[in-house]
Amino acid sequence: MSFVDTTAAVISPRARRRRILRRRFLRRPLAVVGLVVATAFILGAILAPVVAPYSAGTTDFNALLAHASSKHLLGTDELGRDVFSRILWGARASIEAGVLATLVAMAVAVPIGVAAGYYRGFVDTVIARLTDVLLAFPFLILAVGLAAILGPSLTNATIALGVGAAPALIRIARGEALALREEDYVRAAIANGASDLRILARHVLPNMLSTLIVQATVAIPTAIIGEAVLSFLGLGVQPPTPSWGVMLADAQSYLSQAPLLAVYPGIAIFLCSLSFNLLGDGLRDILDPRTTR
Amino acid sequence: MSLLEVSDLSVRFDTDDGQVHAVDRFSFTLGEREVVGVVGESGCGKSVSFMSLLRLLPETAIVSGTAMFDGVDLLSVPVSQLRRVRGRRIAFVFQEPMTSLNPAFKIGNQIGEVLRRHLGLSRPAARTRAIELLELVRIPAPDRRVDEYPHQLSGGMRQRVMIAMALACDPKILIADEPTTALDVTIQAGILDLMRDIRERLGTSIVLITHNLGVVADIADRVIVMYAGRKAEEAPVRELFARPQHPYTNGLLGAVPRPGAAADASRRLREIPGRVPSLAELPHACAFAPRCPRADAQSRSAVPELREVHPGHHVACFHPGPDAEAVA
Repeated sequence: MSFVDTTAAVISPRARRRRILRRRFLRRPLAVVGLVVATAFILGAILAPVVAPYSAGTTDFNALLAHASSKHLLGTDELGRDVFSRILWGARASIEAGVLATLVAMAVAVPIGVAAGYYRGFVDTVIARLTDVLLAFPFLILAVGLAAILGPSLTNATIALGVGAAPALIRIARGEALALREEDYVRAAIANGASDLRILARHVLPNMLSTLIVQATVAIPTAIIGEAVLSFLGLGVQPPTPSWGVMLADAQSYLSQAPLLAVYPGIAIFLCSLSFNLLGDGLRDILDPRTTR
Repeated sequence: MSLLEVSDLSVRFDTDDGQVHAVDRFSFTLGEREVVGVVGESGCGKSVSFMSLLRLLPETAIVSGTAMFDGVDLLSVPVSQLRRVRGRRIAFVFQEPMTSLNPAFKIGNQIGEVLRRHLGLSRPAARTRAIELLELVRIPAPDRRVDEYPHQLSGGMRQRVMIAMALACDPKILIADEPTTALDVTIQAGILDLMRDIRERLGTSIVLITHNLGVVADIADRVIVMYAGRKAEEAPVRELFARPQHPYTNGLLGAVPRPGAAADASRRLREIPGRVPSLAELPHACAFAPRCPRADAQSRSAVPELREVHPGHHVACFHPGPDAEAVA
């Protein structure tokens, strides 16, 4: 204990914990790569108007289905649009859908899951069985079905993906709440006169936060792929707005003339979701108290 | 005038194997500034009885009886009203100091939370009071400790923080459920010292639940011995140690090592034979009969009622009296 005392005197505990977490994170090369690549994609999406050499709709009829050149880094598509620029612009739709869908999923799942796990009883049984039923549907089928009902647009696709991802999160939030409600400090808070709402806000939610953060970073890549799928099927982003899924769908018709048109957005989807997955794995490792390295 | 008056408290649990009677018709009173020790083996119902007063038991518990405190029956008031008693008028200290603090918040915030909720203090005022409370429970450098997280404190310090939190609103009653069991002996002495000090300075009545008779002898005014969910014996502390009546109390006293007092082979520690009965069904007999050297046909066919053998000394036994050996 004396070690802790002397260190604590020098720097605040929160800063110390942050430093430990950072050191643990940096010791995982894959997680660092994930962070770097994911950040690059996010920056590319945000800065697309600045970084992209062309706007998403600019056509160059002198260079249809052109090969890569200094003028068009990754070539052009059938309308002479710059593929590199469209990948950057398309990252906006993907990351926006990925992040927002995850937020939607959290907003739906956390209150339901926490309430079910904390209050138990009949409501919990109903919610738990209902999520079991929903989990029996593959995530994409559920999302495609919802998107088809809501109608094609990026907003509706995001909602569909968010709601589609909710059942898995409900189950996780419920499990965490079930475990946390038995904690001694929850009992101590009850004995001190805390209300249910305060216990949930102060004692249950904060202690499940690290689990939720990890789940979010895992849910984001799934939603990114989901957005691509929905857009590919025409249920998400509508052409001419660029999106990796739309680009893939367009490239289909030219597979024999310009196969690379399909490869580039494919690589973008692959790298983007992989980077978020690696980041998520890294976060899970460092936030899991059982790994003490 | 008694502060808390519990009568005919019974607690049953509904389990898959039928009902378990954890507490059976338990009555007791607690006076102002009084320290009552409640002793018994694990599973005798001592924690359950007191947790049931603030309704801290799981929903499977069926509680009956009355517990009058401040003109209201704690067992029947609505929960919203009970919340104003919990932590404010009656505070609880639990056995597990290592896990009873929320790891996500600084201890100052956790103490402050209670103050802000019950007394409506502002954030800075709550912090100042939290530092005072840490000082009261003798935590060194309280102005620095107040900003530390639970994992930075030792078990003894965490228990002090729990006590500080319990004392935050100056409660009338402090119920301490084995507050020293998880701590090592030197820390135990410090915590007991602290509780004595609290009674002296703040006039708080204390219920000390323990299985350690040494602790009781040290601090309690009155002792309640529980066995299998029933009160076996109750007496002022000196009286109990001088003239134990119930054979179970005699057994407990016989099992306490006494350094100095004829520590040779002739006075070896005696254990109580057998073990605590399962509480699945309450027998129509003295629950202690199967382990009791004095048990006879009467003990096995009727439940002994509490009766007064000396002023203030009650015992539930057909054959009360000190063991010859224990007195010597």
